[in-house]
Amino acid sequence: MTIDMSQFYEVFFDEAEELLAEAERLLLGIDLDSPDDEELNAIFRAAHSIKGGAATFGFMDMTEITHVLENLLDKIRKHEMALTAEHVDAFLAAKDVLKMELDGHRLATAVDQDQVSDVKMVLKSLSEAGGVIVSAAHEPKAAPAVAAQAPIVEAPKPAEPVAVQAAVPDDGLNHFNIELPEVSEKDMTNLQDELGLLGEVVASKNDKGRYVFKLATDSTQADIISICSFVLDPDDLIITVSTNVAAASAPVEVKAAVVEDAGFGLFEDDIAPKAVSASAPTEDATANSSGVKIHEEVGYGLFSSDGKDNVEEGYGFFAPFRPHKDAEVAELIGDDTVATEANSGAVAVAKVEVASQVAGAPGGVERRSPGRRETDKAAATAETTSIRVGIEKVDQLINLVGELVITQAMIEQRISNLDPVLHEPLINSVGQLTRNTRDLQESVMSIRMMPMDFVFSRFPRMVRDLAAKLGKKLDFVTVGAATELDKGLIERIVDPLTHLVRNSVDHGIESPAGRKAAGKPETGTLTLSAAHKGGSIVIEVTDDGAGLDRNKLLAKAAKNGLPVSESMSDTDVFNLIFAPGFSTAEVVTDVSGRGVGMDVVKRNITAMNGVVEIRSALGYGTTISIALPLTLAILDGMSVSLGNSIYVIPLNLIVETLQPRAEDIKTVTGEGRMVHVRGEYLPIIALHSLFNHHTDITDPTQGVLVLLESDGKKSALFVDRLVGQQQVVIKSLETNYRKVPGVSGATIMGDGGVALILDVSAIIQMGQTSNYLTGAPPFAHYQSAQLIEKNSNP
Amino acid sequence: MSTENASSATSSTTSSNKLKNAAGEYLTFVLGEEQYGLEILKVQEIRGYDSVTQIANTPEFIKGVVNLRGKIVPIVDLRIKFQLGKVEYDEFTVVIILNLNGRVVGIVVDGVSDVMALKEDQIRDVPSLVSNIDTKYIVGLASVEEQMFILVDIEQLMSSQEMALMDAVAVH
Repeated sequence: MTIDMSQFYEVFFDEAEELLAEAERLLLGIDLDSPDDEELNAIFRAAHSIKGGAATFGFMDMTEITHVLENLLDKIRKHEMALTAEHVDAFLAAKDVLKMELDGHRLATAVDQDQVSDVKMVLKSLSEAGGVIVSAAHEPKAAPAVAAQAPIVEAPKPAEPVAVQAAVPDDGLNHFNIELPEVSEKDMTNLQDELGLLGEVVASKNDKGRYVFKLATDSTQADIISICSFVLDPDDLIITVSTNVAAASAPVEVKAAVVEDAGFGLFEDDIAPKAVSASAPTEDATANSSGVKIHEEVGYGLFSSDGKDNVEEGYGFFAPFRPHKDAEVAELIGDDTVATEANSGAVAVAKVEVASQVAGAPGGVERRSPGRRETDKAAATAETTSIRVGIEKVDQLINLVGELVITQAMIEQRISNLDPVLHEPLINSVGQLTRNTRDLQESVMSIRMMPMDFVFSRFPRMVRDLAAKLGKKLDFVTVGAATELDKGLIERIVDPLTHLVRNSVDHGIESPAGRKAAGKPETGTLTLSAAHKGGSIVIEVTDDGAGLDRNKLLAKAAKNGLPVSESMSDTDVFNLIFAPGFSTAEVVTDVSGRGVGMDVVKRNITAMNGVVEIRSALGYGTTISIALPLTLAILDGMSVSLGNSIYVIPLNLIVETLQPRAEDIKTVTGEGRMVHVRGEYLPIIALHSLFNHHTDITDPTQGVLVLLESDGKKSALFVDRLVGQQQVVIKSLETNYRKVPGVSGATIMGDGGVALILDVSAIIQMGQTSNYLTGAPPFAHYQSAQLIEKNSNP
Repeated sequence: MSTENASSATSSTTSSNKLKNAAGEYLTFVLGEEQYGLEILKVQEIRGYDSVTQIANTPEFIKGVVNLRGKIVPIVDLRIKFQLGKVEYDEFTVVIILNLNGRVVGIVVDGVSDVMALKEDQIRDVPSLVSNIDTKYIVGLASVEEQMFILVDIEQLMSSQEMALMDAVAVH
């Protein structure tokens, strides 16, 4: 089974981004002195979920970071370590790195590996040393935006000056001299090829043994930097610009923030710059008389050397740049001097200088690179068009459309009494309305439906990788992947299922040796199934592994201080694994074993009004069954009529429909009726007598037999006639009423009326147990029970 | 007002206690010859009776379910339940849609008359008597201008077992 995982990337990216944002929000709000356990757990869960997702999709770099992060968080969560400001800082830094890696995967932007390893180191050292040392190397990154304090903190990576030189030719192109740091021959050639796409490149070696490209192009410096950043650290680049403006006048010295920004596509500036306290702007804040008048424009046009495509070229660089705002928050602005020689006529370049100047001035400028990146991203993701919308909005939409359909049906009915000749235009318009309404309804309904395959197909790869990692052999089987499920539920079932599958592979299935010793085939089987059952959708994760050990669970629970006793039922004991922080795994691996999974599973399922059930037999395996309510589900149904009512039968349970001939109807002992279909005798269940429903059609040859199959049993349901096939939204009867035997739910038909959806397996059962054919009223037990209750009510 | 709701909802207390908290606004309706009142805050809306889908094997007084703007809402005919009034359905038949702790239920009555504010001293204790409505679901009697109103604790009544509206009653 080969699956293109990339189709799910977007979902993971969205999710991960949400989780990161959430984690950040929680981190920022956390109270250091008395951190809320719930919040710590939430942060931990976020990290865990990201790790899970990243591992599923094979983004190992993110898994690595989250794993280290998780280790540390786990210690804090378990109060083995006190939460300190360093921790929070390190977590935030880790969050930024994760974001950077995420963007790296998503938008193919560059990832600063140094920063990654820095953060990883910090996390590791914190986790080992109890969070004492925070080395200088990472401190600046981690330090949350502190206003300019002591001038000059060593920048994490002191960038080399970028020299921009004005002068030279007049051919409409920009001439860049790009001096590379020491790179391999191969990288150099790659780079040369890449740059060759922009314009003419001439490579040479300079006296320091470094490669220098001379590039004539109409692209901007930003473009060049972004290309280079794939291969090397742009901070190490030295780019000199020669603009096309000839008339050079007073050269202007600039102190620029551009060095940091030059790392376009690099992310550390998100944090690093903030921390790099602004050094005194010193020098020539006044030097560039030329650019003063264009302050307002400094937000754009960075690096633009021809002054035309300011916006594009600026690439949103300084978009959120608000000069002279928040004067005290002089975050940043490196002391990295950028000596730019430009003539005052070179407008755009001059702007750069001004921008830099302003930035460097003590008045300070709030520089927010995230905003900038946002802009980039918008550009990059313009093609991927999916939006995430709250399910309530969709629900509301569906309800509204339902109302519209009813209103439309009413109008249609009203005009059917009108004279078609006199009112032709009106009737035509209504016809159009009808079509549009139907289309609208179809589109709205389709928003929410998705086959379970969408979820299931994520797993084979994950299972394979996991199995390989853990040295286990197993077959992965999915059943019922075509079962359609509401998108809202699909999205929310992914996380719990991921946890369950991981758990099953890690803890459920034994090692091949272990299985052999237990007399089982070496290859284990993991089954993921989905089905509509009764009033629910049941999703099950089944393994034929070791099963849950009751005694082990009890012992562990007792150790964890949970109230347990030997006399607890198996179900209660199994449910212990849903307690937060409960894990029976002896070793915490990066796969599972922290006990976070089941806690999350339970939480998520409960949030969906679902129920989780564990069935397990020691030595034989475990099944974890998730039953979700049908409230949101959608069903392919066949509507049938009975008297003046309409019932809906799930289409997937219908084998065929037929109108029997009299000779095919047989009776057993003169009572029970059977129908003979291709050599099989099937019991006839008359819906009208089962439901006590009046109808004129009591002879099966006058009506229709619907052959049903459920749980391996077949029966023929006798109804008046077939009405049609349609998709229906299943509404729960239990919301306002209660469960009705033989009915799994209700739905609203096109005319606004309510139709009941038959619970086929219950009906087949009722047909077998009920003695309705002998004249005793069906549900006699039900009614007598009613009476008893009534009587017992004084 | 809300405290009154809360307490009347859990009125397993003595009747005098019940009375104490019974003051408030009531929607009055007619069943047969009798005037009843129920707490106005439990009422979601009042509408006509139409297109009820009957449900198999339910007590006779449960008429079935209707679609109330996308919600499936059961309809109970109190006239049948309490054997009051003439059971017929026409364009004047009134359904009071109740919202009881988030559960939406419709009740069919003979007619809706008024909304009145009742003070504590207008409400009398219920004498113990034989009636179709168990006295434990009656908050008290109110007399206004020579008319007697039976104040029903509708929430208790509708969630009672004999109404068979909730799952606790379901027998398998």
